[in-house]
Amino acid sequence: MSRSLSPRSVPYRIVERAGSLVVTAVFLFSGASAALGPAGGVVAAVLAGLAVCLLVGYEVARYRRFEYDLGGGTLDIRSGVVSRRNREIPLRRVQNVDISRNVVQRLLDIAAVDFETAGGSETEASLRFVSFEEAKRLQSEVRRLKRDTSDAESEPETDAEPTDEEELFALSGRELALVGALSFDVRVPGLLFVLVSGSVPALSSVLPSESGVPFVAAGLVLAALAIVLVSWLGGAVAAVLNYYGFRLTRVDDELQYERGLLRRYDGSIPLDKVQTLTITDDPLKRYFGFAALEIETAGYAPGTGESGSEAAVPLASRERVYSLANRIEPFGSPAFERPPKRVRRRYALRYLLALGAVTALLYGVAAFAGWALPWPAYAPLVLAPVAPVAAHLTWRHRGYWLGENHVVTRNGFLRRRIKVVPYYRVQTVIDSRSLFQRRWQVATVTADTAGSRSLVGAHAAAVDVDEAVADDLRRELDARLRSSLAERRGWTDRSDAADSPA
Amino acid sequence: MKRLHPRIRALWIGNAVITAAVLGVVALVVSVVVDAIPWWAAVAVALFALSLGVGLALARYRVWRYEVREDALYLERGVFTRVRTVVPFVRIQHVDSSRGPLERLVGLGSTVVYTAGSRGADVTIPGLTPDGADDLRERLKRLAIRAEGEDAV
Repeated sequence: MSRSLSPRSVPYRIVERAGSLVVTAVFLFSGASAALGPAGGVVAAVLAGLAVCLLVGYEVARYRRFEYDLGGGTLDIRSGVVSRRNREIPLRRVQNVDISRNVVQRLLDIAAVDFETAGGSETEASLRFVSFEEAKRLQSEVRRLKRDTSDAESEPETDAEPTDEEELFALSGRELALVGALSFDVRVPGLLFVLVSGSVPALSSVLPSESGVPFVAAGLVLAALAIVLVSWLGGAVAAVLNYYGFRLTRVDDELQYERGLLRRYDGSIPLDKVQTLTITDDPLKRYFGFAALEIETAGYAPGTGESGSEAAVPLASRERVYSLANRIEPFGSPAFERPPKRVRRRYALRYLLALGAVTALLYGVAAFAGWALPWPAYAPLVLAPVAPVAAHLTWRHRGYWLGENHVVTRNGFLRRRIKVVPYYRVQTVIDSRSLFQRRWQVATVTADTAGSRSLVGAHAAAVDVDEAVADDLRRELDARLRSSLAERRGWTDRSDAADSPA
Repeated sequence: MKRLHPRIRALWIGNAVITAAVLGVVALVVSVVVDAIPWWAAVAVALFALSLGVGLALARYRVWRYEVREDALYLERGVFTRVRTVVPFVRIQHVDSSRGPLERLVGLGSTVVYTAGSRGADVTIPGLTPDGADDLRERLKRLAIRAEGEDAV
């Protein structure tokens, strides 16, 4: 039985697109009256009227020609006014079903539904718009039908059908306030710094050089405070808008979340598509005993969408985060193995070199561009005694752990990431040793997964482990991946899986 | 552990020559436009790029190793950053063999292995004979099917 979109989507889309139409109309008016004189206004009005008719006609036609159908193990969508497109998406390939509604859409009771599959940067199919009730129905139908098809393929069912909805996590008002208070948007100070730093030399050249220095210093301190305040406020507002009313529930073998103040999101994540879990914290959160959790699936990047991770617990006490993570992926409590102690010297050296580079750069700027810096060029060297401390902290917060079914890695001091990867999710194992790492006889072993979040340096990686350990890890990860995958797919009795350790 | 076909050095050196020539021409244009730069600076740039490229090509050939193991494809490469990659056959999504224009000129081909990973999503083994590339593709394909990588993600 095929269905069509909500009729209310037609006026909404017309109004949504009329904005661009107004701009076109103004452009037409001015253009036409310039070219044709007084008669031009009439021509333009006719043209604008025509455009409105076209838009209305197009949207009505689009609505009438759009059909979707859920059944037979696929989602079929037939769409297109001028060129027709029929698309079939096998349901077992669907990773996430996301519903989003902004304020106007909520008033109209319509919602946008996006179906995500693995291995594509784009959304595979989206319905703009269906009624919210229908959206929820689609979400649960996809879940139900998917379970039926996977049953038919005799996939091992993990546990005896917990059919009812079970709330895993709800963000309380106090926690939401904390999320806001602890959300410091680093991008804002970065951006402001770039903007402001351009005007520093100009300022210092305006001010008299002798008496100006204290003023400049005071101004800089004030500016820094303002930047911190603005970015803190910005982060707080964004976090509250994002995570208002956050709830994570488990329905059958699927996770569902909802969140958002102005734009409301309802999403689903099948548990068997979860690739990695990431527990993040920073010194402030660690001090107060809080942490955050991100859930990553394949072909779908939670963080790269609008703002913030969609399927993530923004903040909760550490115990709650760990127990929740353990309910999704029972990995136990990791006992991390730190890199060898000698890498601390490597980090200290690295930080000192970075300080030296900054100092050299400042000297260069002062010497060649003739900018008067409000502080001496060797000022960064004051930080030199901090380097060994930073090196120690970096080393302290690194580590890896091979659990029974998961590999867990930990990296970063300011933004610490603990990544949990089930062995059967590992795609390839990459052991890389840079020129400098080879000098210290250390290596980085990365367990690559199909998660699409990890574009820059956020892989599950055992960084700077001893070379011998790296050789072992490479073999071990490969062996455990195969045995764990074999077990998961029920081929343990096969000869090629039997020789690897379980 | 297998090494690449020795002729891959010719290919990589050819690439280095092309890069050096392009750089040299750019430097020559700059030296014509800017009076302060003498013409031989362009030659120096080209020669420097050439020696660097040739050195890298030879070093790369010395480092490159690959092996089709019982359960996984193993690669070792990288002059400055030594990278060792293990691609289990269960994870192979598909395998290509390809021959670029320069590769055809020296009579070589390469095999590309794709996984669903986010970082090492495609792994290229260059420097194979055309038949070797096809054979390797077929062999990896059979091994991947045997390892049954149906539900790859």
